[in-house]
Amino acid sequence: MGMNYLFIANVCIWLGVGGYVLFLARQHSVLERRVRQLEIIDAEE
Amino acid sequence: MFRIYPKILMILACASMAAMAVGQYAIWFHAPEEATMGLVQKVFYFHLPLAWWSFVAFFGVCAASAMVLWTGREHWDVLAGVLAEIGVLFSGLALVTGSIWGRAAWNTWWTWDPRLSTTLVMWFVYAGYLVLRSADVGGGKGAKVRAVLGIVAFLDVPLVFLSARLWRSIHPAVLASRGGGLEPEMWTAVWINVLAWGALFGTLVLARYHGAGLKRRVEAALIRIQEKTLQ
Repeated sequence: MGMNYLFIANVCIWLGVGGYVLFLARQHSVLERRVRQLEIIDAEE
Repeated sequence: MFRIYPKILMILACASMAAMAVGQYAIWFHAPEEATMGLVQKVFYFHLPLAWWSFVAFFGVCAASAMVLWTGREHWDVLAGVLAEIGVLFSGLALVTGSIWGRAAWNTWWTWDPRLSTTLVMWFVYAGYLVLRSADVGGGKGAKVRAVLGIVAFLDVPLVFLSARLWRSIHPAVLASRGGGLEPEMWTAVWINVLAWGALFGTLVLARYHGAGLKRRVEAALIRIQEKTLQ
């Protein structure tokens, strides 16, 4: 029984940390793409 | 804003991954199985570092908020927001793992114990602080309003830390008794994991701060383009 709780706790921790890391990675890639696009537009104008 | 270089972030991320791997080895292979609770006690090696680093994060929010009031510099306000976000994540995970461990050890998912209650209040206070930040409260004086909130929010943190000592609590105060009832190998695993989670905490803070810097660059570029278009 204790093993089940240990497993659930591990799943929660790695889902929480992994989810946050994925959120950061996605946010960075979107922002970096946007910065590049805007710098090109800025240079053209 | 301080500039965070992606290469430094990458090195830090690799270092924290290596530290977490060593931490996992210490939990599963070095630390012995606890005699009374059995394997479920190993939740402790995650639960304690998560709780401690959330305290560090909230102390950081208070310190950064004080720096906003003192210097008026924007980067302290950004840092306060970043630390609050990661503090809410870590304290949330500490609450969840504590609840699961409580179910195994005390046969209940939740009890209105002083330590548990004050921790839940702390989580809601900082979650509310994040909601207020995203709502852009205070207009032109927003940074100062957020700074005052960041300092006031910290009032609950010492209460959480001392609650298990001040009032009758079923939650153990690990540092209150010498040795905390743990074997030396268990303490080794605890400290390795505290350091590993600290490395991950530092990496997440810098990564999030870097993201905030990118967001500022996008906003600045948009303003520049808008000004050029209007000319």
